[in-house]
Parts: sequence; structure tokens; C-alpha cells
Amino acid sequence: MSDIILLLLNMCFPVLAGLEMLLNRKEGSQKELARKALTAMIIAGCFLILNVSGKEKSVLLFSIGSELPVYFHMDALGRLLAAVVTVVWTASICFAGEYMKKEEDQKRFFGFFLVVYGVLMALCYAGNLVTFYLFYEMMTLTTVPLVLHTRTREAITAGIKYLLYSLCGAYLVLFGTYVLNHYTTSLNFTPGGTLNLAAVTGHETLILTAAFLMILGFGVKAGMFPLHGWLATAHPAAPAPASAVLSGVIVKMGVLGVIRVVYEIVGADFIRGTWVQKTWLTLALITVFMGSMLAYRENLLKKRLAYSTVSQISYILFGLALLQPEAMTGAMLHVVFHACIKSCLFLCVGAVIFRTGKTKADQIRGIGKEMPVTMICYTIASLALIGIPPASGFISKWYLAEGALDSGISVFFWLGPVVLLISALLTAGYLLPVTMKGFLPGDTYDYAHLEKKEPVKAMVIPVAVLACLSLLLGIFCGPLVQYAGQIAEVML
Amino acid sequence: MGETQIYLLAWIVFFPLAGAGVTYLAGRTDKRFRDYMACAVAVIEFLMTMIILITMKDQTAGVELPGICQMGLKFETDGFRAVYGTVAAFMWMMTTLFSTEYFRHYRNRNRYYLFMIMTLGATEGVLFSADLYTTFIFFEMMSFTSYVWVAQDERKESLRAAETYLAIAVIGGLVILMGLFLLYHQTGTLMIDDLYQACQGKNVLAACVCMFVGFGAKAGAFPLHIWLPKAHPVAPAPASALLSGILTKTGIFGILVISCKILFHDARWGTFVLLVGVLTMVAGAVLAVFSIDIKRTLACSSVSQIGFILVGIGMQGLLGEENILAVRGTMLHMVNHSLFKLTLFMAAGVIYMNLHKLELNEIRGFGRNKPLLKLAFLSGALGIGGVPLFSGYISKTLLHESIVEYAGIAGKSDQILGVPDIRLVEWLFLISGGLTVAYMLKLFMAVFVEKNKDRQRQKAYDDLKGSYMNTMSKIVLGICAVLFPLMGILPDRFMNWMADLGQTFMGAEEAAEQISWFGMTNLSGSLISVLLGAAVYLLVIRGWMMKKQADGSKEYVNCWPAVLDLEDYLYRPVLLQVLPAVAGGVCKVLDKLVDVFAKIQPLAAYVEASFFNTIQDPVIVEMKKDIYHGSEEPDDPEEGNPVTHVLGRCCNAVKHLLNATIWKKHPCKTDFKHKFALRYEQFRENMMLIGRSMSYGLLLFSLGLCITLIYLLIAAVRMA
Repeated sequence: MSDIILLLLNMCFPVLAGLEMLLNRKEGSQKELARKALTAMIIAGCFLILNVSGKEKSVLLFSIGSELPVYFHMDALGRLLAAVVTVVWTASICFAGEYMKKEEDQKRFFGFFLVVYGVLMALCYAGNLVTFYLFYEMMTLTTVPLVLHTRTREAITAGIKYLLYSLCGAYLVLFGTYVLNHYTTSLNFTPGGTLNLAAVTGHETLILTAAFLMILGFGVKAGMFPLHGWLATAHPAAPAPASAVLSGVIVKMGVLGVIRVVYEIVGADFIRGTWVQKTWLTLALITVFMGSMLAYRENLLKKRLAYSTVSQISYILFGLALLQPEAMTGAMLHVVFHACIKSCLFLCVGAVIFRTGKTKADQIRGIGKEMPVTMICYTIASLALIGIPPASGFISKWYLAEGALDSGISVFFWLGPVVLLISALLTAGYLLPVTMKGFLPGDTYDYAHLEKKEPVKAMVIPVAVLACLSLLLGIFCGPLVQYAGQIAEVML
Repeated sequence: MGETQIYLLAWIVFFPLAGAGVTYLAGRTDKRFRDYMACAVAVIEFLMTMIILITMKDQTAGVELPGICQMGLKFETDGFRAVYGTVAAFMWMMTTLFSTEYFRHYRNRNRYYLFMIMTLGATEGVLFSADLYTTFIFFEMMSFTSYVWVAQDERKESLRAAETYLAIAVIGGLVILMGLFLLYHQTGTLMIDDLYQACQGKNVLAACVCMFVGFGAKAGAFPLHIWLPKAHPVAPAPASALLSGILTKTGIFGILVISCKILFHDARWGTFVLLVGVLTMVAGAVLAVFSIDIKRTLACSSVSQIGFILVGIGMQGLLGEENILAVRGTMLHMVNHSLFKLTLFMAAGVIYMNLHKLELNEIRGFGRNKPLLKLAFLSGALGIGGVPLFSGYISKTLLHESIVEYAGIAGKSDQILGVPDIRLVEWLFLISGGLTVAYMLKLFMAVFVEKNKDRQRQKAYDDLKGSYMNTMSKIVLGICAVLFPLMGILPDRFMNWMADLGQTFMGAEEAAEQISWFGMTNLSGSLISVLLGAAVYLLVIRGWMMKKQADGSKEYVNCWPAVLDLEDYLYRPVLLQVLPAVAGGVCKVLDKLVDVFAKIQPLAAYVEASFFNTIQDPVIVEMKKDIYHGSEEPDDPEEGNPVTHVLGRCCNAVKHLLNATIWKKHPCKTDFKHKFALRYEQFRENMMLIGRSMSYGLLLFSLGLCITLIYLLIAAVRMA
């Protein structure tokens, strides 16, 4: 019983804390707000640790009508994602305490920030498709205020675009849910799938279409071509901590949705070798290349990182689409690594914007001299994202590529690794020049007017922690790989 | 791998990595202490490798650090690795000792030391690695840390060259990675010692070609040699010595792994490597003859010497079982070349640290009256030229002998190359040797014999006398210079010992036959090269590449056509402009694909706004009080829109014109801008009404849809 209360507390506490902040009429000072949010987050983190370290558990909360149960179940995958979300969230909220000083309406920002965290926890623990869908929509709605926080014209447009894309995706998912509901024994997530094989015969095309639409629908959040458009608009408009969580975590929820549907409702075997898998692979590879290429040609730093996310998430989707244990392990690892790396990068860029107001890649000459610690963190994260060993990105790419080669799917088995490597080259092309210009400004650089602009500790520490994680998780990746391997083994 | 774990190997790799950090921290407080610290790390590293070399000799033993980076790091020592690890540590020690003086006036020295010592660890990691996974990890680390050296002085050229270096390193690294993917996929192991067994009967050619391209890029093989001639002249001299002496050899190490552990004794592969080797050897030598910058010449020379080594590796494959000469030649030429380049680049560094110039016409005459510098340079030059009694002669003779040996069996039915082919290779080998002599002669004559045409400058050079370098640098340079004649005069003592240690790695077990080093047949090859070199120097360099100036003196002129620069005229335009433009254009289209549909977005946004308007009052007002509290409403926009503005302004302008001319008596007073704006507002209001009613309809429609769907859902559930 205490287990279940813990599970519920894990989800409800942040939401309640967030609502309290939103509805509290008292005007707190900026410092108080930030402290309050951080405290709430740390308490939530403690709940999470207690919860996650316990054994697997499930709870049926209530049913909408008699047939639509809201059901939570904490499995290995959910635990992993919940942990990742919490790390990124804590870092971002710590960072935001300082960053949001320059923005208005911090109460709203922190309030929604906490609410979204609670919703994400629920999403991680959701035990059936109905519950998942419910919280998926809730996540979309609660993140919109984060995107349009600054309420400039640009931000509002971005917010609306985000909303529209997400709703479009959600409806695709909804359609799939209706169909699948009809042909499955239950909508509870069960490794291997729950298709009712007797009912399925004769309706394969319909189910495949439904599965494909659901992949597309969740792919909107994950930024898969062709519905990736919102990322590049929403990220630059949102405040940096919000971009960090959007890119680091929220997009991963699309990935989670795909895993749940493909591996735990429809079942990998049903999709293997069909047109759905081929199309999915193609879309993922197009996205990988397109995202990197666009990032390479983009000058605005945050937009560059947003395109980079588009590309990197499709690494994960590519791994999932192979329906192969090694590749799935790689995908799970990349989920974790990319969350750390990308949120670190966004926070670094946020710190640069916060301290210098420079937003473009060609303006930041000598930034490494001004903000050395931040830029060292940026460099470490960049190397990790490119996949330079021993940093973390290398490990996940290794598994993805080996999985692709082992899968033996014609053409894709070699095309996949090649595209991944070309994309890695482009990644180097768009991330490293920032470091190079930052630390090697050239001999004409004016050292006399060099001004140290390192931000305060509250900003540097989260960035440094994330950077260390992206390095150390690569070096000491044994347990993580084992854990991801177990997840993949169960699912396939 | 042996049972016992030799933890010293892990220390050799990780001690510098840790030492680099400590040195950096030390440098933040005390610069002198930092210099001592760096030297201490390098010396201790050298001692550790010496211990390995002396105690282990050619035994094979290793250490495994399981779990690091998933597959674990595995290190191993055998004769070859021990020798090369020691050579690397020796070079690091010498350059670090030399660096103290060289860098006196440099900025960012802390950074330099940090990355230099880190690279030492990474390089030892590559050389002592027991599986390709470990090799790759340290190889990448090495590429990135050494990038910083090239860019050290941050001049524009340096940054550009460093960019090229990094680009080649990253591309090379990724290509190697592809090779490793393929190899691991097919064999399931990356342990270097197990690869030969694991690859039997499998088609690993694609993997090997990928790895060859990547390692070859680092080694400086044609056509990816472009980074060497760019990076060396701009990098600080100690860094050039290491880049050219050791880092290129790590590339060779990788190629050796392919040639000796995967495609062992494979004649086809040997031919391929031989081809690349010959191209590299000739291209490098020709470039070096043309160059008029001392460090660029030395860099091109490195390319050429790497070509010699590749020829040796190619011959190993071609000769198969009988390849003992090629094996020993390859091994010795690697060691020799490392040491030559150490000496020569440090000598060039002495010149640069005094003059800050590298161009031959400028530094001409600097070395007169400086006997130590002159002898050191001469020793290196004679060594690299393959002149008898110097160590280069021994290794080049062995390589030459292996070609001659193949010529004996060429033309038989089972051999790939015919007699004319191998004769051509032999002659190209001798010609390249000749060119080596020619360009070294050119450098030596220019710096140490000829006088500068500017009298005053020459006087300033002569006045430097003993003060041009400090005692430490003198000792370092002296030690290096003594090595070559020592090794060359007593080949059986030093060279044979090294070759014996090295040959197991390359798969040659038998003992070498006794070679009469100074017999007539062997001397003649060297003699041909020297004579050719002298002829080229007199006819081509003095005759063609030096132009008479107005005042009668002769100057070195750059005769190399700029169009032949592969980097500027092929790689950069293609990689940086053509490909991104094409691919980027396509991607841009893909990116906007859906946004075209989203052009209906304004309408949709409109619908949504209206939707919120209708349900707004009670909820939103309450929320506004709390959540949106204190936020100001956005300013009222200016009336009208851009189109009405432009139209109105145009009409106003016309109106003014007409008022001033035709309608002077009855001027028109309408403000068109305002008028158009009003019209627009009316239009907008109408549209809004239409929109609202439409959206209301839509809203009802979608509500109905939702209800229907939920109904269906529940019904479906019931049915099921």
C-alpha cells in the first residue's frame, strides 16, 4: 500500500506544488520563488528515488465509465525515463532560478514547470494506452505556456504552431487507439503486444495503417519528418530552461509513445518486414540527415540545436524501427545520453545568451575566454553528441550501428550506419566551430578588454553536472547498458 | 594475452592524462613550476616505457580494464609496441625539454602543455592497445587533443590549417568507425591477436579499406596528405616534431594491424598498399623539392618518408612468407623517421624561435658559424638521405633489398606484379631517395652555407653566436644528433636489436640472415640515390628554382603551380560549398514541406482565438487575475497593415505630385493611407464575423464529432 501511495505522490506532489504556485496570489520575490520551486523539485526528486528504487508495482486508479481504466504500472522502461526526466528537470529548474531573473511572470513559469514534471511522471508510469493518451494531451497543453512564455509575437506564433502540430499528432494517435482497441485483448502495455490474433486475421492492413498513423502521431513530438516543423520554431522562442526540457525530455515522450505502441500493443513481430517498418526506417533516416544538414546551415544557435534534436531523436527512432535487440539497446541508451547532452547544450547556450545577449554562432568569438567553464561543458557535451569516444554518444551509436548491421534488412543494414556517420560528421560541423571560435579567437583578439562573464554557481553547476554525466555515462556505461539490454530483451 | 596483468601498461596510458591536469593546475599559479612539472611527467613516462622495454622485451603480456566504455580497455605489450612506445615517450621527453625555451614568448602556454601531455597518454594508448576498440578510443582522443597544438598561436593560417587537420581527423575517424562496425559485425571480435583467425573465410575487404582510409589519412598517405604541409609550418616546432614523428606513425600502426593481422600475407592487398605508398613517396618528395619554407619542406618530406614505409608494408604483403627484409625495413624506417624528424624539426624550431621566419630567402645564412646547430641538422639530413654510415641507410637498404628480392620472383605465374612493374617501383624508390637528398641539400645549403643577400641581416645572424639557444636545448639537440651516426655505424648492435623486437608483431618469426651492410651491392643503391640527388640539386634547384634578382643575387622562388593545391581547389570547394548547397537545398524543401500546409495556420489560429473568445469570460478572467497577473496587454498595433501602408503612401505621393501640378487650384485632401486602413479594418471586421460564425459552426461540429467518437469507443468496448 505504501508503495502505491509513493507512486501517486511521485505524480501528484509536483502538480500540487505547481498549482499552489500558480494560484497563490501573494507576490513572492524572485529569489523566494526560485528557492521554492527548487525545494519542491528536490522533494519530488526524493519521492522519485524512493519510488524507483522499490519493486515493480501497478495501481488501477479509477475507470472512466466502466471500460476505460486509468491504470498505472511502473516497469523498467518507465523507471529509466522517470529518472532521466528528473535529472534534467532538476538541473533546468536550478538553472532557471537565475535565468528567469530577466523574464517576467516567473510564478507562472515555475508553476507550469512543476506541473509538467508531474504530468511527465504520470506519463512514464502510465500502464495502458488510455492513460497514456490522457496524460500525453495534458503534457501538450501544459507545455504551451512554457513555449509562449515571453509572449512576443514570435513566441505566440511558435506556441500556436506547437499546439497545432501536437494536436494533429494526437488525433492521429487517437484514431489508432480506436482501431487498436477493437483488435486487442486489452490496452494494457504488455511486452510482445496484445493483439487478439483471432480478430486480426483479415484486417492486417487496417491495423498496420493504424500502427503507422500512431508512429507518425507520436513522431510529431519526436520531431520525425514530415511533422518536425514545430521544433525549430518553438525552441528558439522558448526561454532556455524550457528549451532544454523540451529538447531533452518532452520529445522523448514521443519516443516513449512509439515504444509503448509498437512493442507493447501491436508487437514487434507484427510489424517486422512490413511496409510500415520500411517507411518508418526511411522517414527516420531522412530526418537524421535533414536535421543535421539544416543545423549545419543555421546560424541562430538555439535553432541550430533544435534542428540537431530533430536529427538525434531520429537516431533513436531509427534504432527502434529496426526491431532488433541491439539496436533497441542503442536507442534506449541514446534516449538517456541525448537527454543529458542536449539539455546541457541548451543550458550552455542559455547561459551565453543570458550573460552576453549573443544569439548567433558568428557572434561568439572569444566566448571561451569569457566564460571558460560553461564553454568547456559545451565542448564536452558536443564531443559526446558527435560520438567521440570515450564520451557517451559513441556507445549508443555503436549499438545502433551494430544493430543495423545485424538486422540484415536489405539496403538499410548498411545505409543506416553510413547515414549515422555522415550525420555525425555534420554534427561536428555545426557544434565544434562554436568551441573553436570560442577558445581560439585568433591573434587579433583583444585580451586587454577581456571580461570574465562566468555566470553564478546556480547556473554553472547544473551545466557542469550534465556535462559530467554525458562524459561519465560513456566511460562507466556498463550497468546502464545492461539495464537497457534487459528492457530490449523483454520487449523483443 | 598473458595470465598476469601488467598494470604498468595502464599506468603508462593514464599517468600522462592525470599528469596533464596537474600540470595545468600548477600552471595557473606558477609558470616555472609548470615547466618542471611537464618535464617531470615526460621523463617519468619515458622511464616507465623503458622499464617495459627492458623487462618485457618481446614477450607478450597485457592488462585489461573491464567495463570501461562497455567493451573494456585492453592493453598489450610485445616487442614492437614496447619499442615504439619507448620511441614515443623519448620524443615527448625531448620536445618537452625543448619546449621550455621555445615557448618563452608564447601566450596560452598552459593550454599547450595540458593538451600536449594528454596527447602523450592517448598516443601510448594507441600504441599499446590490444584491441581495435581501444585503439579507436585513444586514436580519437589523440586527434582532438593534438588539434589544439596546430592552432596554438591562433594566427589566421594556423586556425585554417588546424581546421583542415581537424576535418581530416574527424572524417578519418568516422571512416575508421565504419570499418570497425563492419569488422565487428563480421567477426564478433576486435582483439588484434584474434583477428587473423576470426577473419578466415570472411569477406572483410570493405572493412579493411575503410580502416585503411582512416588510418592512412592520419599517416599522411596520398591523396589525404593535405593536412601535413599545411599544419606543420604553422604549428610550434616541438608540436611539428611530434605530429610528424609520432602521430603519423599511429596511422601506420593502424595500417600495420590491417596488413599483418587481418589481411596477412595477402598479395592483392600488398599491391594496393604498394601503389598508395609509391604515389605518396613520389608526391611528397616532389612537393618537398618545390617548397621554399623550411618546415613545409620537412612536412612534405614526412609525406614522402611515410610513402617509403607504406612501400615496405606493401612489399610485406607481396613477398608473403619471404618478407623478412621488408618487415625489418619497415620497422627500422619507422623508428628512423621518427628520430630524424625530431631532430630536424627541433633545428627548424631553433631558427624560428630566433627569427620568427621560415621562408628560405629570409633565414638564409642563419646557420653559419653555429657548429652545433649545423652538425645536428647535417646529421639528420644525411640520415634521412640514406647516406652510408647513418641510420637511414640501413632501413632504406633493407626496403630496397626487399624490392630487389621481389624482382627475383616477379613474373612467375602466381605473382601479381610483373618484372617491369617492380623495376618501375625500384626506380621510383631510388628517384625518391634522390629527391630526398636534393631537398635536404637545398635546405642545408640555404641555411648553413649560403650568405643572406642582406648584409646587415647576415651580420646580425653571425653576431648571435652562442646565444641563440640555451644549454638545455643544446643538450637535447646534441643527444638526438649523435644517435644517427651511432646507429648507422654499428647497425648490428642497435638496428638489428630493434628489428628483432619488432618483427614478431608483423608476423615474421625467423631470424634474419646476416647482411653485409657495406657490401658493394648495397652501397650502389645508395650511391645512385645520392648522385641523382646531387644532379637534381644542381640542375633543377639551382638551375630552375632560383631566379636571378635585379642586384645579381639569386633567390629561391616558389615554382609550384597554385592550381595543384588539392585542398583549396578540390576538397574545400566540394565539401564546404557544393555539397552543402545541394544537400542543404533539398533539405530546406523537405523542411518546409508541411509548413506549406500550415499556411492555413492563420485560419486555424483564428478559429482557435475565436474559440477561446467564446468560452473565455468566466474562466479566463479568473485565470488572468492569478496566472497572468500583472502582465500588460500588448500595445495596440498601428492601423492598417503593410499593404495598405504601401498603397496609401504611393497614392499620397501621387496626390502630392498632382496637387503640386495639375490640381493646383482644387487640391485633393484625402489621406489615402488612412482611407485604405479604414477600408481594411472594415474588411477585417466582416471577415471576423464570418470567421466567428464559421468557427462556431466548426466548434459545434467538432464537439459532435467528439461525442460520436466517444460513443463509438464505448460501444466498441462493449462489443468487445
